[in-house]
Amino acid sequence: MENVEKKIREEAKKLLADKKVDVVVGYERGTLPLTATPVFITEPDDADRLVYDATCVQNLAKYVHDILSAHKEAQKKVKPEDKKKKVVGVVARGCTSRSLVIQLQERQYGRDDLVVLGVPCNGYIDGKKMGIALAGEEILDGSLTGEGVAVKTSAGEKKIALNDVLADNCLTCRFNNPVISDLMAGDNAPAKAFDREYEKVDAFEQLSTEERWAYFTKEMGKCIRCYACRNACPSCYCKVCFVEQSMPQFVGLSADHTDTQLFQLLRTFHMVGRCVDCGSCISVCPMGVDLRNFLKKLDKDALELFENRAGAKMEDVPPLSTYKENDKEDFIYNP
Amino acid sequence: MAEVNATDGWEPKIIAIVCNWCTYAGADLAGISRIQYPPNVRIVRLPCTGRINPFYVMKALQEGADGVLVSGCHPGECHYLTGNYHARRKFAMLKRYLSYVGMEPDRTNFTWCSASEGERFAKVIKGVTEKVRALGPAKKLVKTL
Repeated sequence: MENVEKKIREEAKKLLADKKVDVVVGYERGTLPLTATPVFITEPDDADRLVYDATCVQNLAKYVHDILSAHKEAQKKVKPEDKKKKVVGVVARGCTSRSLVIQLQERQYGRDDLVVLGVPCNGYIDGKKMGIALAGEEILDGSLTGEGVAVKTSAGEKKIALNDVLADNCLTCRFNNPVISDLMAGDNAPAKAFDREYEKVDAFEQLSTEERWAYFTKEMGKCIRCYACRNACPSCYCKVCFVEQSMPQFVGLSADHTDTQLFQLLRTFHMVGRCVDCGSCISVCPMGVDLRNFLKKLDKDALELFENRAGAKMEDVPPLSTYKENDKEDFIYNP
Repeated sequence: MAEVNATDGWEPKIIAIVCNWCTYAGADLAGISRIQYPPNVRIVRLPCTGRINPFYVMKALQEGADGVLVSGCHPGECHYLTGNYHARRKFAMLKRYLSYVGMEPDRTNFTWCSASEGERFAKVIKGVTEKVRALGPAKKLVKTL
């Protein structure tokens, strides 16, 4: 990973110095130990702030969309002769690149607005798993050591195996190498256990209706509707989200549990053929709602019914924007 | 309370979201042909099944419908050529998803019914009403506040 980091800095510096990009979106060291935070580099000299390791969690495609759509909006007020192009460089691992593909498929910006700095990925550390491994002790200092994490807490020092704290979606990731890239930093990462991708969904499907409903209501009961999941999701970019729509109002804002359940059902359903399982929504959730169980089901169904894997290929068409005459019809009621 | 209602003359409330060109006309035909079918259905007419947002189905369930029926033109017969093909994809996902989270699969129903199928429309309504009646009043995802 050291080399990858070095390569990212070099390439970012070069891109900025050659004025090939206006900004590079990447990760820098966070203020707390064992964290990284998104950073926007605009000066070649700042490129050394970029880092890349297992502490980099967020999907950066979200920021790419934010920057480019804000730019597009600002350009509307500019005289035609003064219009400027903005090119964004982005450090993209597998899931980030898939999100970029989805945004490109949905015509949010052009491929020439983007320089993709591909990076191999071995997974990132799930903060909640870390919290459990340390029994809630605050991390005072920490460092990554190849196959493990060395953490210092007030209770003493502890070494944790990386595989024990990697996020669930990383452990069974199918696309841990970028699907599109202009430059690649480092060699491709080894494959993960992607054959176990739908293990949890398959197990959940075997439960009875009542057990499933009980789990769903239990999980959604935790949700405080802070909308952090929506704000972190690279596929949630609507200017006006349905939760804020008031004329007509789709989802109520009362304390009734069904309002929260409906919100989650609707938001997750928006992810049909658009969720890349990057885990951003789960990592930002302050209540630890198990969203992945439900998002992964949509992913599984889209694959089963429409042979679609979200953002896997540039040529793909979003599954709900197209159809086949012989699509499965077994759910149609025929008296 | 709901238990009392269930046995005490409860009648299922079904929202049928139908397309203007086929199923609505089919319902009309059932009417003018004086074909009897259960009066438990409330019809909402939309231009096309492709126009039906899957949210409408969930929202109807939240607002107290015991069952929802979505019906449009048969595949290949859409007034807008491909609307129902797109709808079919959406609702295939929706039906599976709602059963996955633990809703009763029989509460959400999808079918095709053309303008000349008044008989079929009556049969569909009868069938859906019976399926929903067997399930009893909706309790999941129903807003009570």
